[in-house]
Amino acid sequence: MNSLTPSTHLLLVLATPLIGAVVAWVLGARGRHAVRQSAVVTAGLTLVSTGWLIVRYLQSPEAAAGEPYAVTTLPWLVSGIFDVRFSIGLDGLSLWLFGLSALLSLTAVLVSWEAIKERPIGFYVLLLVLEAAMLGVFVARDVILFYVFFEFTLVPLFFLIGIWGHDDRRRAAVKFFLYTLAGSVLAFLGLLVIVLWHASHVGNVTFDIDTLTAGMAAHPLPMNAEGGWLQLIVFWALFAGFAIKVPIVPFHTWLPLAHVEAPTGGSVDLAGVLLKIGIYGFLRFSLPMLPDASAVAAPWLFGLGVVGILYGALVALVQSDLKRLIAYSSVSHMGYCVLGIFALERVSLEGANLQLINHGLSSAGLFALVGMIYERFHTRSIVNLGGIATKAPWLTVLFMVFTFSSIGLPGLNGFVGEFMILAGSFQRAWTGVAPAFQSPFLVMSVSAVLGVVLGAWYMLWAVERVFFGTSRQPPHGPPVEACDLRWYETLSLLPLVVFVFWIGIAPATFLHPAAAAVRNASSAAAEAFADRMQAAQATIQTIAPTVNRVVVHPHASTPINVFPQPLPSQSSANP
Amino acid sequence: MQNISPATLLVLVPLLPLVGALLTLLLGKILRSRAHMPAITGIAAAAAVSLVLLASTSMQVGAGPSSGEHAEPVRPVEMITTLWQWATVDKAYTPDAGSAAAIPGTPIGELTTEMRPFSIPVVLRLDPLTAIMLAIITCVGLLVAIYSVGYLHDDPGYTRFFTLFAMFVFSMSMLVAASNFLIVYVFWEAVGACSYLLIGFWFQKPEAARAAKKAFLVNRIGDFGLAIAVFLLWMTYGTLDFHDTLSANGTILPGILGQTRLADPAGMIGGAVGTAICLLLLLAACGKSAQMPLHVWLPDAMEGPTPASALIHAATMVTAGIYLVARCAPLFIASPGALVMVSIVGATTALVAALVATVQYDLKRVLAYSTISQLGYMFASLGTGTMLGFTAAIFHLLTHACFKALLFLGAGSVMHAMGGVIDMRRYGGLRRLMPITAATFLCGACALAGVAPFAGFFSKDEILATLHSKAWPNTHGQQQSPATGHAHLHLSSFSSDAVADDLTADALIGLDALNCPDVWRILFFMALITAGLTAFYTFRAVFMTFTGPTRVPAEAGHHAHESPLVMTLPLMILATASLVLGWLLFSTHWLSHFLSATPSFALPAFGQTANAPVFHLDLAIQGTLAAAVGIVVAAIGHLGRRSDGPQMERFLGPLGALFANQFFFDQIYNVLVVRPLELLAMLAGIIDRFLVDGLVDFIASLPLGIGSVVRRLQSGVLQRYALAGVMGVLLIVFVLAWQLRS
Repeated sequence: MNSLTPSTHLLLVLATPLIGAVVAWVLGARGRHAVRQSAVVTAGLTLVSTGWLIVRYLQSPEAAAGEPYAVTTLPWLVSGIFDVRFSIGLDGLSLWLFGLSALLSLTAVLVSWEAIKERPIGFYVLLLVLEAAMLGVFVARDVILFYVFFEFTLVPLFFLIGIWGHDDRRRAAVKFFLYTLAGSVLAFLGLLVIVLWHASHVGNVTFDIDTLTAGMAAHPLPMNAEGGWLQLIVFWALFAGFAIKVPIVPFHTWLPLAHVEAPTGGSVDLAGVLLKIGIYGFLRFSLPMLPDASAVAAPWLFGLGVVGILYGALVALVQSDLKRLIAYSSVSHMGYCVLGIFALERVSLEGANLQLINHGLSSAGLFALVGMIYERFHTRSIVNLGGIATKAPWLTVLFMVFTFSSIGLPGLNGFVGEFMILAGSFQRAWTGVAPAFQSPFLVMSVSAVLGVVLGAWYMLWAVERVFFGTSRQPPHGPPVEACDLRWYETLSLLPLVVFVFWIGIAPATFLHPAAAAVRNASSAAAEAFADRMQAAQATIQTIAPTVNRVVVHPHASTPINVFPQPLPSQSSANP
Repeated sequence: MQNISPATLLVLVPLLPLVGALLTLLLGKILRSRAHMPAITGIAAAAAVSLVLLASTSMQVGAGPSSGEHAEPVRPVEMITTLWQWATVDKAYTPDAGSAAAIPGTPIGELTTEMRPFSIPVVLRLDPLTAIMLAIITCVGLLVAIYSVGYLHDDPGYTRFFTLFAMFVFSMSMLVAASNFLIVYVFWEAVGACSYLLIGFWFQKPEAARAAKKAFLVNRIGDFGLAIAVFLLWMTYGTLDFHDTLSANGTILPGILGQTRLADPAGMIGGAVGTAICLLLLLAACGKSAQMPLHVWLPDAMEGPTPASALIHAATMVTAGIYLVARCAPLFIASPGALVMVSIVGATTALVAALVATVQYDLKRVLAYSTISQLGYMFASLGTGTMLGFTAAIFHLLTHACFKALLFLGAGSVMHAMGGVIDMRRYGGLRRLMPITAATFLCGACALAGVAPFAGFFSKDEILATLHSKAWPNTHGQQQSPATGHAHLHLSSFSSDAVADDLTADALIGLDALNCPDVWRILFFMALITAGLTAFYTFRAVFMTFTGPTRVPAEAGHHAHESPLVMTLPLMILATASLVLGWLLFSTHWLSHFLSATPSFALPAFGQTANAPVFHLDLAIQGTLAAAVGIVVAAIGHLGRRSDGPQMERFLGPLGALFANQFFFDQIYNVLVVRPLELLAMLAGIIDRFLVDGLVDFIASLPLGIGSVVRRLQSGVLQRYALAGVMGVLLIVFVLAWQLRS
């Protein structure tokens, strides 16, 4: 088997779901069971193959050197100076998201086992195409290819929601599609500006992400009045695309609607993987290519992240639909990711990168379980449910595990990301900003920690109402007796539970492979932020020399004195 | 046994209950009514190992003080063992030049410019404080587990109970053995989760489910404080380890509570940040140890099975706050303002909870408020900031763990016999039906009330003596050493001579309050009154339950008899401990000597202090008098009377209503916190639906509206956006061309 080169291996992983989709289509004539069987086999094969590739990556010299692995580059649209390539490869930034996509695709197929009775061929074919697109978006190393995969995640999900969704599925599908597309078009325009700017300096129009990143460092987009603040404009264009995808408050309203109406399998993929593309975009494009603009925007997005955490949690508190509640908890949790990214501290960035995986596991698990509850009780209304624990103890146990993961119980995965993000944001507030900005940053960081309390509140409230107390008969549907997990449901969630514990107990295993990539992606922006803060402090001191004195000294015996000493920048210590 | 290292033994203490828990979970279906076997075996083995560790640590500390007066400073005993690296982020943080992250004794700034790794090892420690906590947790845990076999013998959740129980013993052992603040935080929440699941053990009962949620949420508020405290510690000290570590280049990285820092009088941060850290730690301790204002969850937590209440909500988990403050003693001593707050919170809680306990009818609630009150005692003692105070608090923690577990198990025995009825007005005169329960309960009650020679008498006396020595410092002249000229017992030494050069005045915020005798006099009298009230409510419960005409409620059915041996045996063992432990530890001075070898207590200021407790006859008389008054009043009101007759609180008038309603804490929280937050959430929900989403829909409708006005576009949605995209690209290209032209 050594003859299987990494590049071929990666291509095979990408091709497997597509081949499986064709097989499922062909087998469609034999009925629903044949289709779903082939889908499970395909997703399972893809997962095993992906896992094996990840193990190979971790042992490879490329991983140690921080270089892309399993790279395939083929000419695609090449004419004259125009050079679009089909270029894929795995690196530290994409590694875990790639694995997560494969893992959750199997979950998505399995949770649809009994739920999808109508038009199964179309459903499973779309689900497998979606898997291929999700895998592709994280390994694309070319802007056009990334964008193609990005759009290709939208189309299958649009149909999955629109055809197999619940009552208000049309509106949800259209809103989801238009909203995301509107943002992604803006992001694409922004990326085109980067490409053209680069082309204007080197003469040929390359779309290669690595080349562009290096090019933006050599000749950055103008960040001044003469240059029309072009870098900032491009940043906000990319922001439009990624912020809607994440979603960052206030661009989030498509999410609860889409989740509530989506079939369970669609929800699993949507919450587990698709939301992550937004944060991945910030790390892949915005921070390394537009460091100065990122530094300018960072304090605002730091604040927006905190607003997202609290706002999402507060709105979740008043939801009566269990699925909507979890959708808003996603908004809150993605707020942590935004906070972690734009705190621009190493600890918080690595935490945010891990939080992507953590949220993928916990929200996918919760959405899957809500789907199972709906199949049994035909309602998702929190007030109509009750006492499920007596009827389905193992379902309850799993729901508790994912709830604890979601509210950041130490020992489980959710805690690791949350804690590192918050530690990093405190670090930023403590020594990383000009003294004049210290108080607002501290207030924001403390507020973010309050989200931990609110998160426990709404989740435990829901658990209490839905699972505990006396058993209640839902108003619709036949009476439900004992109805614990079936084999395919257990199978769909067990791998997730394994990772929930594994990441919680030994997070270093997962932090380490991504560390160098995250550092490289963010170092320029962190440095730019440090420079900006120094400049800001200098300005403040010329305007009002006394401002520095007003700041509360955290250390009574030795006043805080970051400035005007040179601010330690993260990149200066890069190996 | 010779070749098993102490490190292995230390790891075994939490590991054995964990294995027990997992085996119980896996084999529960097969073992059925014997599902307790793996859990109890694991806990029993852990108890044996922890006693071995206690003995070996004690031998390491060495013999007790020979003269009893000024002992030689005890060499700190500490052993560290690292299990695995939890997380590492290289070069994560550069501490401030000149902050406490600087290594004591080196020129400031030399090592601070170096970036610190965010390095979190899963690391365990063994020192006297940990050893004694481990022994308490596993031994009391074992007795309660044995008792549970009888108590829960036909419960459908039998397997679940023992799984959670062993998980709790594991988490609690890890909490007291962890040597890193983040790992402490991890198990701080883990014990909370076990507590949540055990309070909600009978989840079909809505009250139990609600109580579990309330406990978790109130504890989360405390955890919020702990989290921020940990962040601040990380930023001021540049590490989260307790112990010193060796960095890659061979220099010693001082841990927050490591010996390098402890040897340096200026090693700890005081001032605003130090005080903030300590107050946040206190907030965390208040949550876990049910101190005001975060005590509201503990009375409701009595919805859980009684053995869980005995172990978690009386003997061990609720003492985690005491442990945390004691462990962080050096931090608190550098922040006198926070230290005095510990005492104020503790004494206030002790008094208020005791007042509430006097009018409760639910036996378990009486005991719950009593626990809150006794924990307040321990906090009051910790806040004195003297070695005597820390020793007294741990002493009381130890004796309290025995006699309060005993009382809870006794209450459980009563509840078991009465068919689940726990309202004291509905039964009476049970001493004839349940003689062993009655006798052992009486032992526990005497210990709680502080009747000599029961355990509580000695530990409570020590706490009163500690407070007294702060209130009337001159009368305790024998503890000050005229030979050296320093009043080492008192923190005034910090500002007066010892380290005055190193610490500026404002670095020790609240020092005045700490050394103001008037404050301590008030606290002393609060504690004394509490002692009287404690005796009153304890014996009120004894008299109501066990004396008077024999009455049993209808629910009891054929159950109304003495509990089986598996339940009474733990009662008898604990009763014996409640009888002898206090005198044993007090007369030998072993505990104070042993504890002083804990690194956290190895402060220079403690080194020469006479830390052996001295018997104060006058204080013992005062304490005993207070207890006697309480018992006599209880006897007048309740001895031999029908427990459903007229009650004493009719003399209290409106105060009785205040106490009965627990000072309206729940209602106040409801009005001040819960309702406003719910309103805010509702507002956010409305804004989300109508403003944020409404705006999106409005903007989305604009192109459609314009489109239909200008010209009915025949193309579909996708194409229109593609068109917009192309136009946008063209626009950008123009802009770019214009940019490049200049």
